[in-house]
Amino acid sequence: MKSLLKTILWTAIALAGAGALAAIAFERREPLNAVWFVVAALSTYLVAYRFYSKFIAAKVLALDNTRATPAERLEDGHDFVPTSKWVLIGHHFAAIAGPGPLVGPTLAAQFGYLPGTLWLIVGAALGGCVQDFIILFCSIRRDGKSLGQMAREEVSKRGGMIALLAVLAIMIILLAVVALVIVKALKESPWGTFTLAMTIPIALLMGIYLRYVRPGRVLEASLGGVALVMLAVVSGQWVNASPVWSSAFTFSGPALALAIIAYGYAASALPVWLLLAPRDYLSAFIKVGAIAALAIGVIFVRPTLEMPALTRFVDGNGPVFAGKIFPFCFITIACGAISGFHALISSGTTPKMILRESHARTIGYGAMLMESFVGVMAMVAACALQPGVYFAINSPAGIVGKTADAAAATIRSWGYALDPQTMSTLAQRVGEHTLLDRTGGAPSLAVGMAQIFSGTIGGERLLSIWYHFAIMFEALFILTVLDAGTRVGRFMVQELAGHVWKPLGKSGSTTGILATSALMVGAWGYFLWQGVQDPLGGINSLWPLFGIANQLLACVALVVATTILLKMGRARWIWVTLAPMLWLVAITMTASYQKIFSANPRIGFLSQAKVLAAQISSGAIPAEKIAVTQRLIFNNRLDAAVTATLAVMILVLLVEAIGEWIAILSGRKPAVLHESPYVATKWAEGGD
Amino acid sequence: MKIVKNWPRNIWSWIRQVSGDAAYENYLRSTRRVAHAEAEMARVDSRTMQAGCCSTRATSAQLLSRSEFYLDALRRRYSTVSRCC
Repeated sequence: MKSLLKTILWTAIALAGAGALAAIAFERREPLNAVWFVVAALSTYLVAYRFYSKFIAAKVLALDNTRATPAERLEDGHDFVPTSKWVLIGHHFAAIAGPGPLVGPTLAAQFGYLPGTLWLIVGAALGGCVQDFIILFCSIRRDGKSLGQMAREEVSKRGGMIALLAVLAIMIILLAVVALVIVKALKESPWGTFTLAMTIPIALLMGIYLRYVRPGRVLEASLGGVALVMLAVVSGQWVNASPVWSSAFTFSGPALALAIIAYGYAASALPVWLLLAPRDYLSAFIKVGAIAALAIGVIFVRPTLEMPALTRFVDGNGPVFAGKIFPFCFITIACGAISGFHALISSGTTPKMILRESHARTIGYGAMLMESFVGVMAMVAACALQPGVYFAINSPAGIVGKTADAAAATIRSWGYALDPQTMSTLAQRVGEHTLLDRTGGAPSLAVGMAQIFSGTIGGERLLSIWYHFAIMFEALFILTVLDAGTRVGRFMVQELAGHVWKPLGKSGSTTGILATSALMVGAWGYFLWQGVQDPLGGINSLWPLFGIANQLLACVALVVATTILLKMGRARWIWVTLAPMLWLVAITMTASYQKIFSANPRIGFLSQAKVLAAQISSGAIPAEKIAVTQRLIFNNRLDAAVTATLAVMILVLLVEAIGEWIAILSGRKPAVLHESPYVATKWAEGGD
Repeated sequence: MKIVKNWPRNIWSWIRQVSGDAAYENYLRSTRRVAHAEAEMARVDSRTMQAGCCSTRATSAQLLSRSEFYLDALRRRYSTVSRCC
């Protein structure tokens, strides 16, 4: 009887999911309500978790709860600490959820809601969750070793080096692109800039409190910090209204970029307790709160999606970024569907804290499903905007024109209704001077979130506060990624530089810290500056680069996972990791090829460089702009070289791995696993 | 009934754990557990091999104060990738 009820329940959930997905895919008569998206996502996640992840846990990995985990065997109270799975899933989710699942779907909304939503749901269930789960399992079986160490031991030494270089590359491009998102969101915005600037003294205050007044009392310090940040958001309206203060906090894009570069350098070199850690606590609290509020708001307000299922920009000529759905939708949405960066968290602190092997399923697979849901919510928020408004915010001035009239005329010519008055009224309602040419995704997401939040609490009266709350929330945790990423990047550069000149490699050496911080900040700062100067907005070239680098890292993770499965004698199940890996290779290689060689200058770096060079030769560029244009040509060639390097790295890794797989399958090489030896658990065996 | 009665306390405890507020208590508990296991092992060793010196864990080091532990935990966390994109 119980079994029959279960069957009925799961059949109902599966049918609800299938019905909602069918409605999203095929309904064209009237705008869809967000409820369809919530039902489709949640039903698919439930079915995927209940059946697919269980299959992977039981058949593919054969999780063994009688085996002691590193947290039990190596418990030391510092790194190896046995932790309840419900606490660890919170830690893990807070670590993997960054700006990616919010910004990526917002940018991909230019294709319409359909491609991005399907990729978010299906990509996560069959790709991202599988990667996170299996890498977590592999790391648990290897005493918490990192992805790079596993690649070196299980694939080849070169595989390990590729993993290290991929991490460094992704770190540099990621930091540049997220910094660019902040610049685009805060330029000419005194309210937003004031709020974000206030988070620095608030974090410093928290840092001093946590270090000297009440050491380690994270909760009370964070609650106080959150209250002060909220006060800063509300006070921002008075700064915005005052002519003196407003001009003091109004910055152009280049000025903001320089300020962020200087901030990144300071944050990387300062003691971690002073700025980085308190900002991280603050950001984690606000992040989790805002994401939960967005999910509740979407369910409560049930907005209608105004964006069509597919827009005309599936042809590859989109204003937000150029390129067709395949491969660019799958490159643009990385973190909400599959993200190589997650493999670093799954092989970082989480495997050292897990109590039992079976918890890897809930934490690895489950947390990624939650992240995918965040991506779906971001897609809903972006698509709830009128398409004309969405394109006016996200299109660079280089494409739609610099004035409201020109932008409205261009967007109307694409078939989306927009009058110039709409944009100025909307900007006024959210407390901004203008919302035009705000590329990067953050402002349009903030408008979408503000409409959902104000539909729940406060109505029109609080729209501007909610908008600036959303901007602050996005900018705050982007700055946290910037701080933490620059610091980790500094350690990596220090490790590499130590091979060249030993003093640079010493972690405590002041010269080493200052020099390697400058190198790291200089690297991402260069790409940021390039993005700020780009007449096409910068996102068009930098976000795809970031997507390619991130998916390259996912390829590394899936190659490692496939190799380990083969060595474990699970050849019949390797399609579980092989299929998403082949898909990623297809999209990264196609995207890399198009970004380098496409004849369309908005897509291909080389053709854009060629067009600019031809303009200089023909005298079409005024003399005073020749130097800038020559820099743009150099930047395009540099981007092409970076893309080519990433593509070559994928190919080298694949050749290495395929050679290893053939040798193992043909019996020419013994399948030597580098797992830690089995030790039986001493804790209540077998239980969950 | 017990679950319903205890839920505010359970939620509070979960929030403290997830936020890292309870990290020092966890450290103390963990260190005591390890020390206890070591003592047990030493007793068994002294009975079977007459040598209570074979533990591989370095738990005999002095306990860190709350402030020292806080700084040590931050140093460890931010030496590796701790936040994703």
